[in-house]
Amino acid sequence: MMESNTKDMILKPSKKDGKKRFEISYKNQKRIWAAIFLAPWVIGFLLLFLVPLIRSLIYSFYDLVPQAGSIQQTFIGFQNYANAINEHVTSTSSFRVELINTTVDSLINLPVLLIFSLFIAVLLNMKFRGRAAVRAIFFIPVILNSAAVATALGGGDAISQILEQSGIDRIFDLEFYLIQTGLTPAIVSFIVGLISRIYDILALAGVPILLFLASIQSVPKHLYEAAKIEGATSYEMFWLITLPNVSPHIVTVTVYALVDTFLTSSVSTIISDELRLQHWGLSSAMAWIYVGTILVMLGSLAVLAKGLKIGGSHYEN
Amino acid sequence: MKTNIYDHVKASIHGYVDKVTEPRAMYKRQKKAKAFFGSLFRYVFLIGLCFVILFPTIQQVLMALRAPGDVNNPAVVWIPENWSIMNIKLSMLALDYWHALMNTFKMSFIVMILQLASTALAGYAFSRLRFKGSNILFIFVILTIVIPPQALSLAQYLYFRELSLVGKESSIYVMSGLGMGIRSGIFIYIFRQFFRGLPKELEESAMIDGASVFRTFWNVMLPNARGAMVTVGLFAFVWQWNDAYFVKIFEVASSSEFPLLTMKLINVAENVYAQLFYSGALSLIGQNVWDNPLFLALISNVSALLIMLPLLIMYLFVQRGFVESIERTGIVG
Repeated sequence: MMESNTKDMILKPSKKDGKKRFEISYKNQKRIWAAIFLAPWVIGFLLLFLVPLIRSLIYSFYDLVPQAGSIQQTFIGFQNYANAINEHVTSTSSFRVELINTTVDSLINLPVLLIFSLFIAVLLNMKFRGRAAVRAIFFIPVILNSAAVATALGGGDAISQILEQSGIDRIFDLEFYLIQTGLTPAIVSFIVGLISRIYDILALAGVPILLFLASIQSVPKHLYEAAKIEGATSYEMFWLITLPNVSPHIVTVTVYALVDTFLTSSVSTIISDELRLQHWGLSSAMAWIYVGTILVMLGSLAVLAKGLKIGGSHYEN
Repeated sequence: MKTNIYDHVKASIHGYVDKVTEPRAMYKRQKKAKAFFGSLFRYVFLIGLCFVILFPTIQQVLMALRAPGDVNNPAVVWIPENWSIMNIKLSMLALDYWHALMNTFKMSFIVMILQLASTALAGYAFSRLRFKGSNILFIFVILTIVIPPQALSLAQYLYFRELSLVGKESSIYVMSGLGMGIRSGIFIYIFRQFFRGLPKELEESAMIDGASVFRTFWNVMLPNARGAMVTVGLFAFVWQWNDAYFVKIFEVASSSEFPLLTMKLINVAENVYAQLFYSGALSLIGQNVWDNPLFLALISNVSALLIMLPLLIMYLFVQRGFVESIERTGIVG
């Protein structure tokens, strides 16, 4: 059955054993299977995503006030959006300030994060003693990156205070040493800022490192073998084999890192807080501003990637 | 005789110099030196970064191993004076550890399988079974990645309430089985990128050999995307393990019959005293410790460590899955 189906690439009715039956071309078979493969996702998308999405879009134009047993809705147009941008304040900050900060931060962090995690992934892919242990250690930030764990560890403020008193919260005072060496304050503050960011970057880099590691390992090995026989150095092999093969995944990592930065940022916290305060309209409007910002950033990055020809798979077409 | 010795010495020096400057030997030495400095650099760099990651963790582990009475003993900085696993015991009681661990493990495992199935299928369809409009559909996948879960959770909650799935673990399973679980969008993206990277010849040769589309996917493409499978499976597991958001929204762990680690941890972090009181840990330790806020903070930290620990142990086994890609048989490169 299957065999005759697939071998028949051209659509034509065939009669075998005197029995007439449908012959489906490979192309049509693909279409049918595509529908089957996508079915769960499409159902989930329509029911669990699209409907809530449209609802939230509608909410963002309404003032929703919870009443006993029902929700009172009044249409207020773009009032929620205006409120979110112009009027919203929290005890320490405001939505607009946090949104701008997060956007700028993520744009600065993104290139550093990409280069750093690719570099670490290449290092972790080499063979050396203790590789398993090092890989496990680099996995710790992925686990720690959880709201529940963060809440519990946040309770440890008292502990860090005690540690500070005994003077072991910092191994050494970097800023002091750097100023002693006679560098200008601007450079010193830049270096100190970069170093204090190392932990943040490490925490964000956990997932990108693993993604890069998996993608590096899916590079066909015969390419490296051929290159070695031709006498390529490992430096050349990185630029000419690893990087082109990994480049489609750079796009994935970029999307992930950008969304993750926003998701773990204070912008996202503000949205959750407003949701908890039952300001549904306002929080929906904020969520849509947030989504709009990310989409604009992703769009411009996509244009950039196309211009630089990053991300296309050379096996395609 | 004298000249003989002189000649001899001269000859041997020349021989030595020749040996040293012989191109092949020089090349070999250079290579050795390069390899040495390369690995030295690698070790210094990696050990440094590992230290940055481990420093807070080590601090907390050592804190956890202190005897409860020593918690704010200023004389103890790093190494505990009196070793004790009392804190760990208390945290385990407060977390209802073994019970919650089993539940969390079961749920994470089922979610992992469901996520893998739904996202791998969708990712394959988006990369290899292209049809008219599949690019437009894929834009919607990007949208599912970008939209924050907060924007949807209210409407999703109302949905599940209509289906009377609220308060049951199956609500989480439905979400992940339909490709709308925790970050399913990024999983679809990962699978799509991996499948796109596989050579077309693989698919073509399978087709010529008469494999159906599903067989091509199952027997040829999927084994070649093992890296993606391991990665996605790992993330799906860990993120479900750590998830507190969806579990809270859908009230999965609200009943006492189905405790989950993250919810227990949040309870502990918010109110250590009550949690210890209800779990009966109070009777295990002297009353005077309870006046100590540091001790309560310590218990919540130890609880966080206890939640991370199983994941770390599991990862040590899973990381072998990040092996070199399977040799692509059937294609001559």
